[in-house]
Amino acid sequence: MRRKRILTMAWESMKQRRFRTSLTTLGVVIGITAIIGLASLGEGFRVIIRDEMEQGFELNVLTVMSGGLLTGVGSYFTDEDVKNISQMPGVVLATSIIQKSVGKLYNDGKNSTALVLLAVNYTEFVQIYPDRLGVEHGVWPQSIKNDTTVLGSKVEHPSDDETFANPEDNVTVAMSFTSPLLRGRYFENHTFNVAGTLGKSGAAGFINFDDAIFIPIDTARKLYNTTNSDMIFVRLANPSYSNSVAKAIEDRFGGGGEVRVLVPAAFMEQVETILNMVQIFLTAIASIALLVAGLGIMNIMTVSVMERTREIGVMKAIGAKSQTVLTMFLTEAALIGLIGGILGIPLGYGLAQVMGQFMFRFSAEATPRRSLITGTETHPLTVVTPILSLQWAVGAIAFAIGVSVIFGWYPARKAAKLDPVEALRYE
Amino acid sequence: MTAVLEARDIHRTYSMGKVLVSALRGVTFEVEQSEFVAIFGPSGSGKSTLLHVLGGLDRPNKGSVYIDGVNLSTLNDAKLADVRLHKIGFVFQFFNLLPRLTALRNVELPLTLADVSEKESIQKATEMLELVGLKNRLNHRPTELSGGEQQRVAIARALINDPKIVLADEPTGNLDTTTGWEIVRLMKCLNEEKGQTFVVVTHDQGVAETAHRMIHLKDGLVQGVGTRGKRP
Repeated sequence: MRRKRILTMAWESMKQRRFRTSLTTLGVVIGITAIIGLASLGEGFRVIIRDEMEQGFELNVLTVMSGGLLTGVGSYFTDEDVKNISQMPGVVLATSIIQKSVGKLYNDGKNSTALVLLAVNYTEFVQIYPDRLGVEHGVWPQSIKNDTTVLGSKVEHPSDDETFANPEDNVTVAMSFTSPLLRGRYFENHTFNVAGTLGKSGAAGFINFDDAIFIPIDTARKLYNTTNSDMIFVRLANPSYSNSVAKAIEDRFGGGGEVRVLVPAAFMEQVETILNMVQIFLTAIASIALLVAGLGIMNIMTVSVMERTREIGVMKAIGAKSQTVLTMFLTEAALIGLIGGILGIPLGYGLAQVMGQFMFRFSAEATPRRSLITGTETHPLTVVTPILSLQWAVGAIAFAIGVSVIFGWYPARKAAKLDPVEALRYE
Repeated sequence: MTAVLEARDIHRTYSMGKVLVSALRGVTFEVEQSEFVAIFGPSGSGKSTLLHVLGGLDRPNKGSVYIDGVNLSTLNDAKLADVRLHKIGFVFQFFNLLPRLTALRNVELPLTLADVSEKESIQKATEMLELVGLKNRLNHRPTELSGGEQQRVAIARALINDPKIVLADEPTGNLDTTTGWEIVRLMKCLNEEKGQTFVVVTHDQGVAETAHRMIHLKDGLVQGVGTRGKRP
């Protein structure tokens, strides 16, 4: 029997039982709506997270640290280490950093706070983050003077309407030192001349530049009495070198875990994996609705086979093969799946739009307006724009048809196996 | 003359609960091409069972049925369906039309199953409905037709694939006398004018007597064979 005719007959049969077919299809519509709603919302959410992370992590910058990720062992790396790393294949530039905690800053009766003091080679450091370090006032120091400093935006503006210092001001910084003698930290005031202040720059990895002040590394080395550095920032030609360079660096330091390399690309991959798992989990939950719809199809089709027993008997008597009967019933199931899938996709997307508009608005109001990853106050998460890919749409329709056919299989098989004589006698 | 249908020593036993019922106990006969044969007998004589076995809807426990020289016992279910589609036409007591299809679509159904193109099948079905006098009822659904008209549609459906033989199970059993005779006349007419072979199962002696031959069935056995006007 030709496929087109089977389709026509299945369609006519469905039209004959319009109300019942509509209810059965509604089950599939609800299932697909749930799946597409959650999937497209999840995809939109994932894109937001990915964008935030891409802002927070330069994918082609590696951070080399000693010891634990956050604790670190100070003054670990020598200039020789830095030179060696900068010669590795794929490395554009490697630069030393000294990172210290810092106390209050004073400027002519005004004061401010910084969370971190970063001692850098100004010329090299700006090449590590050429796009991130936007100077708001003054300049990023080109020639290294021992007493120049650059202030992060939150240090410069402790509150919205307050400016702590202007370029050329001399600011006093309470620098933190560790004393083995005193068994603790103490602060010592040092004065620096402000070369410039940064606009909002956000965070790179775990260092938020907005809360930082920068001083020349040579000055820090003298003050802290060291020739080494705490961290090395490494700029790669492109992110694809991440793993090979990270491995080479770890190998150089014996590979025993003393040195850790923060690889943003790998971190992003992990986050992506987690987000994928969450999305799969949500979709799996939503799929339960479709499975329930499948049971509905099975139920309705079983009733339908019983009602049409005599009709099946007639079909077989006039020459229909069991395979033809099976195909006819499965076609009906597949059509229900197809229609349910097609209707469910726009409904699911619409539902995701509504949820994306309202759901996160409430949660955003309840949470601090500060991005976890970038550390900036850029855009609080109030609206998630759902994203529906063609693959998801096609996959959802295929899934709907698949579930319908699987659940329709038992009643269709029952119909196909009916004994024609028994079927013709059925009242 | 060639035998279109041959039944050789047909046995059919059913189990009804724990009881075995022998519906057919060795039925043997032949039907020649263009014959009009009536299988006649009282209720419970095994007429319908025999018709089902002859038509390949049921399989005998013993014995063989040959349709157009093909032994149905040797065929699997799919091949048997093919034989029903191409060589046998069925007419039932309760018409058995598909209620959601129009008369035209009902008649067309065997052609659809036989993969005939839609255009050709519509043309053939229309001609066939004209032949049985339902030219003006093409697009009526069964519920919009009288019993006699429904049976005419069923006859048209049985004939649409040019079968070797039409098996009719009590074709007048659900009709009033006048309409019943109209149906008998139609079948006789098709037999005489087109040479269509008919085997009609009936308990109505009057109908049976119009046949070329009457096979009298009782208790699953052929009691005798009579010719027109001569009872067995």
